[in-house]
Amino acid sequence: MSTDTKSAAVVRKSSANWLFGLTLLGLLLAMCIVLSLTTKSFMTEANIMNLMRQGSMIAILAVGETFVIITTGIDLSVGAVVGFCTVIAAWLLTHDFSIFATVIITLGVGVAIGMFHGFGIVQMGLPPFIITLATLTSLRGIGLLVTNGATINIVNDTFTEFSRNDFVGLPNLFWMVILVGVPAYIFLHHSRYGRYIFAVGSNMEAARLSGVNVKLTVYLAYTLSSTCAAFVGLLLAARIGVGNAMQADGWELQAIASSVIGGTSLFGAVGSVHGPLIGAFILATINNGANLLNVNSFWQRIITGLLIILIVYFDQLRRRRG
Amino acid sequence: MVGTNPHGQAAETAVAAANVPILELRGLEKRYGATHALKPADLTFVRGEIHAIVGENGAGKSTLIKLLTGVITRTSGEVLWEGQPVALATPHEAIEFGINAVHQEVVLCRHLTVAANMFLGDEDVGFGLLRKGEMTRKAQSILDDLGFQLPAHVLLGDLTIGQQQLIATARASIRGTRFLIFDEPTAYLTRTEAAQLFALIRRLKERGVTIVYISHRLEEVFELSDRVSILRDGTLVGTRITAETNETELISLMINRSLEQIYHKEFFPAGDLLLETKNLSGPGFRDVSLSVRAGQIVGLYGLIGAGRSEFVLSLFGRHRKTGGSIFWQGKEVDIRSERQAMDLGIALAPESRRDQGLCINLPVGFNLNLPIFPHITMAGLVPFSADRQRAERQISDLQVKTSGRGALVSSLSGGNQQKIVIGKWLNHGARLFIFDEPTVGVDVGTKAEIYRLLARLLAEGAGIILISSYLPEVYELADELHVFRRGEDVARHAYHAASHEEILSEAIGV
Repeated sequence: MSTDTKSAAVVRKSSANWLFGLTLLGLLLAMCIVLSLTTKSFMTEANIMNLMRQGSMIAILAVGETFVIITTGIDLSVGAVVGFCTVIAAWLLTHDFSIFATVIITLGVGVAIGMFHGFGIVQMGLPPFIITLATLTSLRGIGLLVTNGATINIVNDTFTEFSRNDFVGLPNLFWMVILVGVPAYIFLHHSRYGRYIFAVGSNMEAARLSGVNVKLTVYLAYTLSSTCAAFVGLLLAARIGVGNAMQADGWELQAIASSVIGGTSLFGAVGSVHGPLIGAFILATINNGANLLNVNSFWQRIITGLLIILIVYFDQLRRRRG
Repeated sequence: MVGTNPHGQAAETAVAAANVPILELRGLEKRYGATHALKPADLTFVRGEIHAIVGENGAGKSTLIKLLTGVITRTSGEVLWEGQPVALATPHEAIEFGINAVHQEVVLCRHLTVAANMFLGDEDVGFGLLRKGEMTRKAQSILDDLGFQLPAHVLLGDLTIGQQQLIATARASIRGTRFLIFDEPTAYLTRTEAAQLFALIRRLKERGVTIVYISHRLEEVFELSDRVSILRDGTLVGTRITAETNETELISLMINRSLEQIYHKEFFPAGDLLLETKNLSGPGFRDVSLSVRAGQIVGLYGLIGAGRSEFVLSLFGRHRKTGGSIFWQGKEVDIRSERQAMDLGIALAPESRRDQGLCINLPVGFNLNLPIFPHITMAGLVPFSADRQRAERQISDLQVKTSGRGALVSSLSGGNQQKIVIGKWLNHGARLFIFDEPTVGVDVGTKAEIYRLLARLLAEGAGIILISSYLPEVYELADELHVFRRGEDVARHAYHAASHEEILSEAIGV
């Protein structure tokens, strides 16, 4: 085999991956174009900004979730962590903690939850599905217990205004996606532990025998996921202005769906950061568009489900051919 | 218990059953894009023959098997089953005809019992319920009848890989099989298990089943087969009657290299002491005392499950030792993790490529560099250029046949995968290399390359522990040979100081 054909094959392979990224982006753009032609209100500044705000939080969750899924795990708790962290943030703010302290403590809670997941999986040997399902239900319970089922109103304008304000023409919330996305991209694709996440997801034993600290890698993936969720909890508390443990219901499924639409394989070792981000905004656009087109919200759920099947099916086809 | 060959009548029965073609290939051809995996081949299989197929890895053997079992479809050519052209487009169609394959890696359900596996897809059902007791009894009587001393009620996963292989064969033999393909069946078998398997193969042959037997072990081909076909670079270069050919001819047809060149042994003066164990015990082995010097190969021979792999896994920090001590370059060490072993200068190429050696669905370059990411990391990041250079140098040094470092390991042939299992350690600067079954399922050409690589490592001042269940390999290569039996180091011999028979009987324990 000549070197020409070799490099051609490599180019073809990597361009196929890029192409998939572009197809998703193309799908997103196509949806936007169709919506801007069929509705008057889609291509308005207000709506686009709103869409960006809506998609941002799921996008950040999806990035965290992707780390876990690449290790062949799953994190079902992220929605509950978001809700729980809105309560923590609201409680801290109403007890005269500074915004800075609130942010640090809330993120710390996220780290602790992630470490607990790591402990359950690595030390206790529980399946990720079980341990994160357990925290899903308990965190909602703890949040309700602490607040006695009530909602805590946040009366800190600096905090709540953050989510409504813009910076250089883009909503602050969208900037937060970039703030998380860029380091996440560098971490996953260019750092040593990012690679270890793939190695653990592909073959844990082979990774271990290659000197990979498997336990630390698992801890890391779950901690990153929970920390992303705690961060989203802060953003949601700022956006809605209340702390309530029952918020963000079902967001874990949206995060998983975004990740999977973005090309992450539930069998592990396949995934990226940009894929889930685009996936999250595709989901947000579907919901937004359906609202604008006055589609029954029950139908939105059905359409979302069908779309997940369709996108992942075509992705699988592509992989099999490659 | 001794691995003798009670059956010597293979040739006679072959003649009687010959000349009834069951499957005929006419110009069978397969292309994958630009790759010509199988060039037009004409071949006839007759009823009740044992037809061996030999060739190096990548010679087209797997392609041929996949075509015959309907896993892939042909590019052109014809397949005739009992004289009728057939499509053979799906595995289901192949099974309908009675074409089955027993693969090197067992594809059965580890979490089900032996009996459940034997009847999987063909369960005995009464009133809609499984008749488990009945199936276990039936399975047990089949196993007893075959002379396998294996229980039918245990979970398949509790058996050794070799025993699972026997179950897979037994399963194929009870399903109305008329054409049975074996792909490297003895790769993981002990001599006793292999003898049982051969007995079963001969029994199937007497029943008129056509056997296609693929193996890298030529002595098995001569022991078992009636005819042998040779593939080289996707071309069927010839078919011989086994009794009328010899190893030299087969090898020269497979490659252009003579037998003497395969075992490449160089002698180096023993250097400084690298590793010493004193009465080391751990999970699966006990009381092992041995030492490795620079420039030396220490061979560990034994049957599968003799504790050799467990011993080296403990040396590498995978399992904790339970007693005894390890000295590294004269100093006592307590190896607690793989990373610690690597930092000392120990490298381990483990036994099972698929389970322990490789991240199969990740790229070639990723796998090659996985152990050295800490070395090439700068400020927490892996520089793209270092990543690429290291991988590409290793690919060209080892002559790995791949479309590039970005290709997935799963797309490579077995021999090339094995090169990666070994190659990932060569960048690491280790002093002691442990190779656990480095040539299992590897073709003659790659074997020779691996042996030359061992010599190169020794020349550079490294020491080697070589584990093999294939006696000629450790016998020809090891400066000191240890024989393991049931977790104990039962004998040691200097180079060529004992005969094959002696060593084998020490390993079996007669």
